[in-house]
Amino acid sequence: MALTTQRRFTTPGPDETVEELASRALPGEPLEAAVDRIKSWNLHIFAGRKPAGLLLGSDVVFVEPPLG
Amino acid sequence: MAYDVVVRNGLVVDGTGAPSFRADVGVKDGRIAEIGAIAPGAGAREVDAAGRVVAPGFIDPHTHFDVQLLWDGAARPALEHGVTCVVPGNCSLSLAPLKAADRQRVVGMFQQIEEMPPEAFTTAFDWSWEDFAGYRRAIEKALSINVAPLVGHSVIRLWVMGAAAQERAATADEIAAMQDLLRQCLEAGAVGLSTSFVDIDENGRPVPSRFAQFEELDALSATLGEFGRMLQCVPEFYDTDITIARIDQLSELSLKHGIPTTFSPVFDSRATPNNVPRIMARVEEQFARGARVWPQMQTRPIDVSFSLLRPSLFFARLPRWVRVLRQPVEARLASLNDPETKAKMVADLGADGGERMMGKLVVRGGDAAPADLIGKTLGEIAAARGQAPALALIDLSLENGLDVAFLAASTGHEDTDRVTPTPANPLVHIGASDGGAHISSFSTYGDTGYLFSEFVRKGGHLSLEQAVAKITGETADIWGLKDRGRLKAGLAADIVVFDPDTIDREAELPAFDMPGDGMRYVRGARGIDTVLVNGQVAYAGGAYTEARSGVVCV
Amino acid sequence: MSTDEAVIVGAELAAGHDGTTELVVRLRHPGGAENAVVLDEDVGLALMARCGASHVDELAGHSWRRIMEAGDGV
Repeated sequence: MALTTQRRFTTPGPDETVEELASRALPGEPLEAAVDRIKSWNLHIFAGRKPAGLLLGSDVVFVEPPLG
Repeated sequence: MAYDVVVRNGLVVDGTGAPSFRADVGVKDGRIAEIGAIAPGAGAREVDAAGRVVAPGFIDPHTHFDVQLLWDGAARPALEHGVTCVVPGNCSLSLAPLKAADRQRVVGMFQQIEEMPPEAFTTAFDWSWEDFAGYRRAIEKALSINVAPLVGHSVIRLWVMGAAAQERAATADEIAAMQDLLRQCLEAGAVGLSTSFVDIDENGRPVPSRFAQFEELDALSATLGEFGRMLQCVPEFYDTDITIARIDQLSELSLKHGIPTTFSPVFDSRATPNNVPRIMARVEEQFARGARVWPQMQTRPIDVSFSLLRPSLFFARLPRWVRVLRQPVEARLASLNDPETKAKMVADLGADGGERMMGKLVVRGGDAAPADLIGKTLGEIAAARGQAPALALIDLSLENGLDVAFLAASTGHEDTDRVTPTPANPLVHIGASDGGAHISSFSTYGDTGYLFSEFVRKGGHLSLEQAVAKITGETADIWGLKDRGRLKAGLAADIVVFDPDTIDREAELPAFDMPGDGMRYVRGARGIDTVLVNGQVAYAGGAYTEARSGVVCV
Repeated sequence: MSTDEAVIVGAELAAGHDGTTELVVRLRHPGGAENAVVLDEDVGLALMARCGASHVDELAGHSWRRIMEAGDGV
């Protein structure tokens, strides 16, 4: 049975920063805009994490906006 | 005597989902010896089950009784609700394997999740073990209930990596060491591994399991695959897209390593009405591929509580209340004591004085609330005081230093007509009680009774046989507990005798029975007559017995 | 209201797993797709304060950045 399309995500590499992840996930976009987009799609990570900005190896990081 | 115990004349609901039938159940040497017509006087002890259901003991697959089991082998009040097997060690946290030097770090995590008082860790038991086998021996000294313990990913990480477990990814050597350690735990009786993607420690920092790369979880799942054991996880259940991503990750691990996986909790909410349907659609797709990815759903609705000690979103549609309550305490008290402000706040509730919004709030207790008001509704209290409910809420709070908690019952996951299709779905695992956790926030006991009172008796959404199977035979199958979950000759004699017309949970009440007089909220059981654990009567006639027949049952 | 970034278009209250009230914020992204962001009570209250809102309906129109600021401020 084929799986329906769901929102694409990646997981951070060891010690990867949000800038590095944004560059990897959204190549060709200006860095600042790419970081903003990643953050706005992933507020579960970027709103309230302690310490702020910490990326975890287990995080689901969406690389596109919601499909709905 | 032919049998140690005979449970006589009951309606046998055997845990398979098959139609019930009248029979006697004979127990010998801790096992079910016969189900049928048994000659009178054949049992050394006879249990009259006329008019009652005789079912396999219930299995609770999501608990945090790890600590409590060290001084309370019955995991009270779980046993009196008919639960004969609990699964502790969920959400990446267990009390073993754990080096003595790391204890305080894990105690902080347990206090964050379980809200267990510190005295529980310093006065209630002799902390003598480090490895999983040692923890098993410690709880087995006086178990009245069976235990199928998970081992926590966070503590495995901590054992191997020390403080770095909460700082970075693991190296290949460290992952191999974690696999070896997990293997030892599984050989010592762990039913599987738990991990968490959401939990935090007492300082708000993510627990160690969250620092793992997927490759680490993949390696640990490979070890689980050697034993065919369970991987449990708590996903970001508040977000549908993330939960679906986790379902896909778990499914990949399940397919690759041949393991069962389960995630919890799953909730219905009017604010996110598509959450459960989307999750279930993905689960069905993954099961169709051969993955085993069991969503766990709790039966009980969610209650929320608040006091005026701190701001609460409960008032987020009442601007004046928001503005008053977001002030620092002294200014808040001044505003609440100001007659003009108070009158305006009450007027904001409209002509009914807050009856519709606040009248059904319940005074919880466990705080500064007068004892005679505990369990009463604000509507009742307001009527007795001759006040509007909103004014009674303010004045009662002011009279008690604002330390009065109010409970808004059944405000989420509460619409049985919306919720019901999910527990009835054969792919849904009933669990997620969280027994032994959140102990000073709300009661996590009695979900099994609620299953029967709400979904069987009141709504007729599940048959008696379906409901019993959901929390016995199906649970045992999902977790690989081959000796449990059914009434069948040869299996362990875990049996509950209950009244199908009255089985339920009692009202939530504060209890001061934790070490150091610590408080927790509990619910007693209704309609449970007798509970047998491995053939011995562990609870009967409303009282616990001296039986200590529980085992680690993996 | 800027349309080239995600914007709050509504918010509702919901019962949270931990026994407190949560704030479910609906966010509309450029292109029109929407999703729900669930904030715990502390972050939800901080968001209302940061947006100067004393009613949940007053959150509509604010940038997604206020959510991030609220979370970081708790």
